[in-house]
Amino acid sequence: MSSLNLNEDQQDCLQEIINVAMGQASDQLARYLDTFVYLKVPNIEQVSAQSLSMTLNPDEQAVAVVSQGFFGFEGIRGEALLMYQPKDSDRLADLLGYEPEEQSVEEQIIDLSSILTTTFLNVFATQINNQMSYSAPRLLSSSKTTISEHIEQQAYNWDLALKVKISYQVTDYSFNCDMILLIPESAIINIKTVIDRILEEY
Amino acid sequence: MSSSVLVCDDSNMARKQVLRSLPEALSLNAQLATNGAEALDILKSQKIDVLFLDLTMPVVDGLGVLQGIKDAGISVTVFVISADIQPEMQNKVLELGAKAFLRKPVQKEVLNQHLDKYGLL
Repeated sequence: MSSLNLNEDQQDCLQEIINVAMGQASDQLARYLDTFVYLKVPNIEQVSAQSLSMTLNPDEQAVAVVSQGFFGFEGIRGEALLMYQPKDSDRLADLLGYEPEEQSVEEQIIDLSSILTTTFLNVFATQINNQMSYSAPRLLSSSKTTISEHIEQQAYNWDLALKVKISYQVTDYSFNCDMILLIPESAIINIKTVIDRILEEY
Repeated sequence: MSSSVLVCDDSNMARKQVLRSLPEALSLNAQLATNGAEALDILKSQKIDVLFLDLTMPVVDGLGVLQGIKDAGISVTVFVISADIQPEMQNKVLELGAKAFLRKPVQKEVLNQHLDKYGLL
């Protein structure tokens, strides 16, 4: 049904590349917030355009979402979504201890999201001998409609995508954010080729 | 007589990364474990000189293995190889008795420097 299906070795290789990227992004987050981030095993699954809204479950509660596109060589591209629950965006202001006039909560969320996204993807790209460029991060208004519309619009660009979900949990502050990467089918075929090249070396 | 080696990681690729970074004399007879419980079983039943240990694993994780080694009083040189590079985690594994923390993906030179430092080559 699709070319996305990765065999066991490809899945293992991709998972290991993601683990390394996640480890470095968590380290950045830990330094930024001066705390410890608990790492969970990332979730990797295939999603269809129709089921995307459902798997992201945005209507549970209004959330803040920061979206950032990424582009590498050889057709590797995708979209990163950083999703925060409202309680977590309030938390963030406490954590950073910024004065309101210095930077708004919205600006802080955009900053933090961009640090996480670019750290993760730079490390990811290096491991597959690629290099990413990024679009400017955008905070989607935290209304349910805007987020659903944005997600639906994403799905217009592809039928199938690989969805990678990484949860960053700051243990001592009970702050969470989810990073969701959507990599369209065409880009995954390219990543698979690179993974096969890596696996051949073993 | 070369050192006996155990590589513990749930990822096949990560285990291979360690194996191919080792000198042949060590990699040829290296044993493999895919989680912490398997590693502890091997450590309790035979003499292992060097353990390369991942942290994030099912069943028993790397911290659990370090604790298990401590509790059972097993003598083995442990190098942790992990993607979780936060300073707090690095300190934690050193406190639990690991000799060094190596970041993933493991580099051949770094790994061999550490083996050399502890006279395990």
